[in-house]
Amino acid sequence: MRKFNVWAWFIFLVGVLYFFIPLFSVFEFSMRMLKGRYTFEAYRVAFSDPAFYEHFGFSLLWAAITLVVSLLLVVPTAYWVHWRLPKIRPAVEFVTLMPFVVPAVVLVFGLIRLYGSPPLTLTTTPILLIAGYVVLSLPYMYRAVDTGLRAIDVRTLTEAALSMGAGWGTILGRVIFPNLRTAILSGVFLTFAIVMGEFTFASLLVWPAFGPYMEEIGAMRAYTPQALSVVSFLLTWASIGLLQWVGRGTAAESQVAGAR
Amino acid sequence: MAYLTINGVGKTFGSQHWAVRDFNLEIERGELVSFLGPSGCGKTTTLRMVAGFETPTTGTIVVDGEDITNQPPNQRNVGMVFQSYALFPNMTVADNVGFGMMVAHKPKDEIQKRVSELLDIIHMAGFGNRFPHQLSGGQQQRVALARALALSPRVLLLDEPLSALDAKIRVSLRAEIRSIQQQLGITAIYVTHDQEEALSLSDRVVVMNAGRMEQVGAPFEIYNFPTTEFVAQFVGTLNTVSADVVDPKEGILRLEGQQIQTLESLDGVKANDKVLTAIRPERISFLADGEKANLMEGVIQSITFLGSIVRIQFQVGNAEFHMDTFNNPQLDLPKIGDKVQVTFSRRAVLVLTSGGTA
Repeated sequence: MRKFNVWAWFIFLVGVLYFFIPLFSVFEFSMRMLKGRYTFEAYRVAFSDPAFYEHFGFSLLWAAITLVVSLLLVVPTAYWVHWRLPKIRPAVEFVTLMPFVVPAVVLVFGLIRLYGSPPLTLTTTPILLIAGYVVLSLPYMYRAVDTGLRAIDVRTLTEAALSMGAGWGTILGRVIFPNLRTAILSGVFLTFAIVMGEFTFASLLVWPAFGPYMEEIGAMRAYTPQALSVVSFLLTWASIGLLQWVGRGTAAESQVAGAR
Repeated sequence: MAYLTINGVGKTFGSQHWAVRDFNLEIERGELVSFLGPSGCGKTTTLRMVAGFETPTTGTIVVDGEDITNQPPNQRNVGMVFQSYALFPNMTVADNVGFGMMVAHKPKDEIQKRVSELLDIIHMAGFGNRFPHQLSGGQQQRVALARALALSPRVLLLDEPLSALDAKIRVSLRAEIRSIQQQLGITAIYVTHDQEEALSLSDRVVVMNAGRMEQVGAPFEIYNFPTTEFVAQFVGTLNTVSADVVDPKEGILRLEGQQIQTLESLDGVKANDKVLTAIRPERISFLADGEKANLMEGVIQSITFLGSIVRIQFQVGNAEFHMDTFNNPQLDLPKIGDKVQVTFSRRAVLVLTSGGTA
């Protein structure tokens, strides 16, 4: 029988408390809008504000467009790097990690300077916002897809499909995408969580989004922003839960795909 | 004209090093030809050029009168079986087998009929709804074979298909592959580094070394009459010993002080020249009464049991020889250190030159 390790449990408990106490405090504070009792009044106020739905809706739209662009860019690129250009993989990885090195504020000012005046004025369109979000999500999306591709024998699966007459669309759609389901989903949910809470790009490019809305509410009200923070957490957890649920049962498949 | 012609094909990978050089081969319809050789000899590269996954640097590949040298792999109708099975993990066995037909937009009924036909052929009729991870390695490879056959390909290519399987399954599956290939009359190229595999299932064997073809021939021919030292050494076990030519016309040689004779006269050499001789272990036997041919005296060094075969090592002068004899309980084996006389026919002595047999 395994020995009960007191220290391991102690460290685990400290970790749990470190994570949950602030969260619980936020939740507890958000319930105290009406004096002397706990209510969901702050949540009612938050959800009854039409601006909430407008900004949340915009963020959902930006997230959806970002995900489509990001998937169309990253999956074929990562696939092609694995299949034909494995030597340039370190260079591609370096490029995708740039958002960790270059702060978002630097990136957005660079974009405004370059595309804020003729000949190519893009600041009036959401293109820069989406492009910025795609860049911000690159480390997460590329890493997730790259990890998925490492787990399957891309080259042999591609060659097998080619030998049976499949074209690139069929290979990507029927063979590669389905076998990257879990990897793509983890990239999708991470990107979704990032875009939904993003502040710098939306604020500086002056587009309505959930991040700037939260900041604005935070400056004006006490309890509603706390309620929105809790909602944001729940949203993220729901995404992770969904990821776990959708990705269940794929481990064995990935293992077989990896057998060489 | 042959069904598949590989004409002067060569391949370099961005440098002066030729992975395959001047490869010429004609394969008849329904023939199974094996490419046999050590790792890096160019056998898989040649197969991949036929599949279309590599483009030849030189030469042409023609199938059934059509030049496919520069045709994309998905337009060649060439089936391929990979060492790693390469079944699509997200699809069932039936979907895997029917994938090529689905891509070709065949009607559903036709796909179902063909899939069930092929699953019958590979003895996996009840496995259509299983996923690859629910099958053993041998079963996965049979599914891969069925999948490659689904579109009735012009040529079936098998790239070391049994290498990842255990010994017993390998033997049974190779017989199954051969039987299906003959049953369907399909033209096939089989790449392997396993000589037993190549010799047992091929109509012809191409032995390759360092990107070149060393010898092409029927398994019997390759094993018994190797034309180069490499083939002689690579295929089967061989005793190779240097000998002095005594009388080239009579084929008489001196080997470690003992005189032996070849069946035919030796061309291109003269008395006192040194030649390399080769004798298969199974062609040597202990001297029995009334035996003739070549005789040698040696001292037993070791005796190894290899199941149905017993391999005996003995020394003649400074040269070491191996001989193989069938194992049986009544076998009266000598002991280590015993002096023995061995014999082998004149036909058993192969004289190898750098280019071929003399």
